[in-house]
Amino acid sequence: MSQAAAVELVDIWKRFPGVVANAGANLRVERGTVHAVLGENGAGKSTLMNVLSGVYRPDEGEVRLDGTPQRFHTPADALAAGIGMVHQEFRLVPSFTVAENVVLGSAERILRRQDVEARVDEVARRFGLATEPDRPVWQLSMGERQRVEILKSLWRDARILILDEPTAVLTPNEADELGEVLRHMADDGRSVIFISHKLHEVTGFCDVATVLRGGETVAASLPVAETDAATLANLMVGSTSLAGERPPYRTPGEVRLAVSGLCALDDRGLPALHDVDLEIRSGEIVGIAGVAGNGQRELAQVAAGLRGSTAGSVHLDGKDVTSAPPRRRFGLGLCYIPEDRIGVGLAPRLSVVENAVLRTYKGHRRGPFLVGSRLTAYCRDLVERFGVRTGALGDPIAGLSGGNLQRLLVGRELSGRPDVVVAAQPTRGLDVQGVKAIQDLLVAERDAGTAVLLISEDLDELLTLADRLLVMHEGRIVAAFDPMDSERSVIGEAMAGHLADEGAA
Amino acid sequence: MKRPVLVRRHRPLRGGQPLAFAVGLILALAVGAVLLMAADHEPLRVYQRMFEKSLGDQNAWSLTLNRAVPLGLAGLAVAVAGSMGLWNIGAEGQILAGAIGAAWVARIGGTWPGPMLLTGMLVGAVIGGGLLALVPAMARARIGVNEIITTLMLNEIALRLLQWLIHGPWKDPDSYNFPLTPVLPAQAHLPTLFGRAHFGVIIAGAVILVFGIAASRTAWGYELRVAGSSADTARYAGISLKRKILTVLLLSGGVAGLAGGVELSGTADRLTEGISNGFGYAGIIVAALALMRPSGVAAVALLFGAVQVGGQSIQIIGVPASISTILQAFILFGAIGAGVFVRYSLRLVPTGVDASGEGGTAA
Repeated sequence: MSQAAAVELVDIWKRFPGVVANAGANLRVERGTVHAVLGENGAGKSTLMNVLSGVYRPDEGEVRLDGTPQRFHTPADALAAGIGMVHQEFRLVPSFTVAENVVLGSAERILRRQDVEARVDEVARRFGLATEPDRPVWQLSMGERQRVEILKSLWRDARILILDEPTAVLTPNEADELGEVLRHMADDGRSVIFISHKLHEVTGFCDVATVLRGGETVAASLPVAETDAATLANLMVGSTSLAGERPPYRTPGEVRLAVSGLCALDDRGLPALHDVDLEIRSGEIVGIAGVAGNGQRELAQVAAGLRGSTAGSVHLDGKDVTSAPPRRRFGLGLCYIPEDRIGVGLAPRLSVVENAVLRTYKGHRRGPFLVGSRLTAYCRDLVERFGVRTGALGDPIAGLSGGNLQRLLVGRELSGRPDVVVAAQPTRGLDVQGVKAIQDLLVAERDAGTAVLLISEDLDELLTLADRLLVMHEGRIVAAFDPMDSERSVIGEAMAGHLADEGAA
Repeated sequence: MKRPVLVRRHRPLRGGQPLAFAVGLILALAVGAVLLMAADHEPLRVYQRMFEKSLGDQNAWSLTLNRAVPLGLAGLAVAVAGSMGLWNIGAEGQILAGAIGAAWVARIGGTWPGPMLLTGMLVGAVIGGGLLALVPAMARARIGVNEIITTLMLNEIALRLLQWLIHGPWKDPDSYNFPLTPVLPAQAHLPTLFGRAHFGVIIAGAVILVFGIAASRTAWGYELRVAGSSADTARYAGISLKRKILTVLLLSGGVAGLAGGVELSGTADRLTEGISNGFGYAGIIVAALALMRPSGVAAVALLFGAVQVGGQSIQIIGVPASISTILQAFILFGAIGAGVFVRYSLRLVPTGVDASGEGGTAA
């Protein structure tokens, strides 16, 4: 080897209780390159980057910079060694100016505003980061804020910059601009690590790609120019053969949930759904596969009534509920297991009882009063039936584990005997037992004749549970598959936006 | 090497808040003792006098109760909004608006019989306070304008309105040009209970009780707690946030306004600029220490009433009134500081271990 790589992560192991996040992951990043780290959710990307940036210490393995082994105790150590990280959630002070945010916390002791602004501007220009150093951050768009985050790292002279899903908050134009900035940085001799699962960006911006799956490196430093997106997609989703664990499939009944011509905007006001048509029948689980951020979240929210639609309609059991509020849809038999358990599905500071009765409290009234004994009895029944392990029912839910929170939430939603279940990422982040419990509940629900819409980023889960599988890409349903009889690789290509002719819907 | 780290308790320490309050009180008395000694006073004698004059006999109790009335109502006003995560910083202005409303009823109904006039004045007070809260409530509910700013700014407007009234159209012609309204009609005074305590004690107690029950036992109160915990969860459960925000802020303003009306008809005999005496701001402290719970508001208001009455009583023996203000501030600091340990426990961990990893498993 002629020269040591800028970054080498060698055989990194990191275990958390119940989870092995990194199982011998390797990464080698050369100087002056933009290096993509790809993988599905839970593949261990974030953990590996947290090891590199000093947030976690690896259980085994070594971090080397320019060939020298490093031991980081804190993120500050890593920063001092030249590693900057731009997190998905920006860490900026909204009322401070760009320049103030950039120098905040750095060792600089100069405090003359014009000097600082001029120097920040100089660094910004060098890398093609158009900013106005004297503007307060709250006035900036998400793309501009991200540039400030990048500037913060450059100001500290980071030679290695890690960007965690940097384009998730950007418009397509802003994403392209980001690509140019990263190119500038690489040309300057720095290394950029670009975490993503948007394949077209990886092929557009990056020189080299490393793919992680299940905490391991499954492909190291592939030259992007010689690799196509479909290959990368297949590496991400893997090609394990499916055991015959699928529950028996019965003929579905009548249409319960029908969505047609649906369009909606995302949180930034950009189109997230384009003309989505979907029918779910009694007694079937329809799975939605797709790389995160392709409209799945918005689809679930529109179906549940928590997000408005800009065109199209939603019918529940034949009734038009397009503009019906969430409570009416629940009354008509639609229950929703939201992606964000705490903060949407469950109220964080309230007790187990208070959360258990969120859907049904109006039925436990005597006059204007809630009957405490009936609330507690209802909650106790729910907790027992769905095996929620909890302390005192009057305690805040903060004490429950993720799996038990989800059992409580799913139990509460299913106990209303719904006709339609919209489940968004219902097993994400749960341990094996929790995943099994939730999956069993969904299957039991289907067998009882409920129509289930299952949105998941875990292709294995979808292939195990779904009776029909649809793939979303950039806000459209681009393909439909029979999960019993489909190649993962074909589904992977559809997820990457490459349409195979025979699979098109 | 070990360093202390605050670790969140799975559930708040039971009975922790009264304990925190006691710690705050002891801390305040200790700091006060130092200040008193520095000012050449004997702390024990001063504290003894404060105690006697605020809680020592029936007369002292009646004064403390009277003082607790506006503090409790203002505290309740802040707590009602606070239970939904809203900050009504405008209780001071709403108290003034309430007093203006009550005074206006007293002006037009000067010949009415007592019960009718008093009822009218209190209704006028509630409407006055509610009206002042209407603008922030609508702005917050409809277009999301931060209620902290709007309620705070309206304090100033209410004060100017009051000043204009007592310097101008409502000024007593016989006041030798002092900014005062004429003395209220005799039947516009709340009846006396015992000592100096007036009927407002019953009114405040009843209002706090009703809100306490409504907040903890009704479906309405439950919806309020859900909305206060997470706006998204409330939307998910189909609870109308707009309507909740509107009603809660209007109620909050109305309760603060009632404090102004009770103060006018209970302890004052005419409308002056000093009618509120800062009760609206003290109410924020009361509500914060009571953790936004109506039941706690009553207890904290009584304690603050005693401190204020005791603080006034020691001015006669030459102790500056600012000592009492400082005591109140230290009770607040102490109780809020100690209150941290109701939710967190202190642990020593070896340096270098990332505490962030631990949270992931517990959550």
